Amino acid sequence: MLDTFAWWRGIALMIALLCGLSLVLPLPFMNEVVIFTIYVVGCNFMIGRLGYISFGQPAYLAIGAYSTAFYLFYFGSSPLVGILFGVLGGLIGSLLIGPFFVRLRSDYFAMVNLALAVVVFYLTEKVLVSITQGDNGLWFMTQMTSTPVLDLTIPAQFLVFGIIVTAFVFAFYKYLDGTIYGSCCLATKLNEDKLQFIGYSNFSIRFLGFVIANTTTALAGAMYAVYLGFVSPEMGSPSRAADPIIVTLLGGVGTLFGPVVGAIAYTGMKDVISKLIGNWELFIGFLLVFIMLVADKGIWGTLEPILTRVVSPRSRNTDK
Amino acid sequence: MTTNAGTTTSDQEILKVTGLSASYGEAKVLFDIEVSVKPGQIVACVGRNGAGKTSLLRSISGFLNPTAGSVFANNKNLVGMKPYDIAKFGVRYVPQDKKVFYDLTVRENLELASYATNDHNWDRVFEYFPKLKQHMDRKAGFMSGGERQMLMIGRATLGSPKVLLIDEPTEGLAPGIVTHLRNVFKELAKKTALLIIEQNLPLVCAIADRVYAIKDGRVVAEFSDKDSITFDACEQYL
Repeated sequence: MLDTFAWWRGIALMIALLCGLSLVLPLPFMNEVVIFTIYVVGCNFMIGRLGYISFGQPAYLAIGAYSTAFYLFYFGSSPLVGILFGVLGGLIGSLLIGPFFVRLRSDYFAMVNLALAVVVFYLTEKVLVSITQGDNGLWFMTQMTSTPVLDLTIPAQFLVFGIIVTAFVFAFYKYLDGTIYGSCCLATKLNEDKLQFIGYSNFSIRFLGFVIANTTTALAGAMYAVYLGFVSPEMGSPSRAADPIIVTLLGGVGTLFGPVVGAIAYTGMKDVISKLIGNWELFIGFLLVFIMLVADKGIWGTLEPILTRVVSPRSRNTDK
Repeated sequence: MTTNAGTTTSDQEILKVTGLSASYGEAKVLFDIEVSVKPGQIVACVGRNGAGKTSLLRSISGFLNPTAGSVFANNKNLVGMKPYDIAKFGVRYVPQDKKVFYDLTVRENLELASYATNDHNWDRVFEYFPKLKQHMDRKAGFMSGGERQMLMIGRATLGSPKVLLIDEPTEGLAPGIVTHLRNVFKELAKKTALLIIEQNLPLVCAIADRVYAIKDGRVVAEFSDKDSITFDACEQYL
């Protein structure tokens, strides 16, 4: 019982933090934070666990968003089913793309994903304009029907749904970390040759990780689509390719709660600083350089050991 | 015993390397190597740095594709197989650099090997290396070189491999640990054949049943009976 509580403690604290912030911060801001957190979780897993940097995350976000949008615009009206379509789209996309991409080394992997983001962007903006409606986007806010228990067409209830989904996503990744597969992922990042010495195929491990991470990203895309009630090519713009990486670095690469801390910090800075300074991106750029130089483990990566020592001083003596 | 594919292992050989040549791009590093290991044997390869000893183990374990020749283990030609399939088949490579998965704990390192081999009995590992049991939750990166070597060898013994290929296991280790490893190798050999690359000649003389001297990518001498394996005989090849 105590073990179960300990396992959930971090996730419960994260939910409490998000709920607490929801009471004092604007609803749109919190919805943005929650969706952005899910968006970054996949990127964080790829960098922190598989050792892969991907500049193509907007492509997977767009695949999820457009899969949801196609369903809600052309076929149905339930946002929940729409989100399922988004996840399914991300899953199928990752399964098709993964076998080609995960054979590449990390640097080529980053570039080929960026190329994919460009391809998806132009597909949605120009090539498939007859079904995506190009820059005008697909609008379906008024076509969505209310869902039982939590009505996803109401922002306040969408936030509750978003926090629940975030909790499940974190629980899933926490569970994954504790499995043999989680160890395999870290091992393939640390030394791919040595993993083969004991009988594992790096390809299988990376492929599964790629599918998991990008399906999570597609989930974020699906949630964006439902929350905003429309999608446009701008959502998957390659010019936003660095965003999830910045937030991952800001939060702390490979840490479980880095994405949520990074998403709060990044969205907060964007919102607050953009009201004070015109060229806010410049400020965030300098801040990121500062954080990388002073605390290369990111905000949560730096705070976590300190908080652990404060909460349970004994852990100082244990081997971590 | 022969097949169309080439020479296979005889009933008494668990590993047989025949006519093995290999190269890194244009640079040839192994020339027509012949090596055999019988069950229960400890076979050592000695030679100077750059002689091709590590390349030989990398060729056997599938990390370096041979340009000619065959590597048979239990009548199965390993040439062309993926490294992880060779490891699953029971020919395991323990490399020289002692780099374990440093961010994983000792327990997680062993779990990885257990899952891959479906052997979850760690008693034998702890029998060889009791120290590992004391550090189960320590991250492998925080262990000494000797302890990391113990972990790598212990991990490789899970699943009762047919052959262990161990590259310079005692390099840079304290004399006490070298003695411990010597005893472990003798015990290990009762169940698993060992092909060891080693420059520590007193150790080689103490444990090896057969020694191959390698020079410039070729086997230049073979000592196949215990009496001929002496420090002086081997030293000329270092």
